Amino acid sequence: MKRKNIALLALLGLMVVPAAQAQVKHIEMRVEGMT
Amino acid sequence: MKQHLGRQSGVQNVEVSLLDGKVDVTPKEDGQIDPAQLLKATYDSGVTVAEMDMTAQGKIVKDSAGNFGLQVEPNRSFVFAPNELSKGLESLADSQTVVTVRGQLYKKAAGKKKADTSAPLRLLLLEVVKKE
Repeated sequence: MKRKNIALLALLGLMVVPAAQAQVKHIEMRVEGMT
Repeated sequence: MKQHLGRQSGVQNVEVSLLDGKVDVTPKEDGQIDPAQLLKATYDSGVTVAEMDMTAQGKIVKDSAGNFGLQVEPNRSFVFAPNELSKGLESLADSQTVVTVRGQLYKKAAGKKKADTSAPLRLLLLEVVKKE
């Protein structure tokens, strides 16, 4: 049972980590007509 | 404009430089930001966007039409405008490699006064910052 829980946690970790790594980090715009 | 952009979903902070017409947007930690929405919000605030650059990390994916792109969220990816840098990343498609890239998402067409915010954004890679 314990081994099954550890395997489940490891699987969840594999699914969560790549998603957390993917992201937009910064956006920069050059604009015109700003006063 | 700063307040208008700051209210957009996924925006952590907005810095505006009046002197050089530069707007820096820092997304929230969760990264749930939509650049297309940001472009439209800027235009709605009465300002024309001449250029939009983005730094993002994600995985290289290939869609059903054979286009390569960067997946930044499970349901959001940016198709690459093909160039030498994007070609160099094609071999990483559907692998576990996470890449950080800087690229241009939008550039106003020369001579056009009104920005076309309806066209899908394509990511023209300017720099591959990191592969891991």
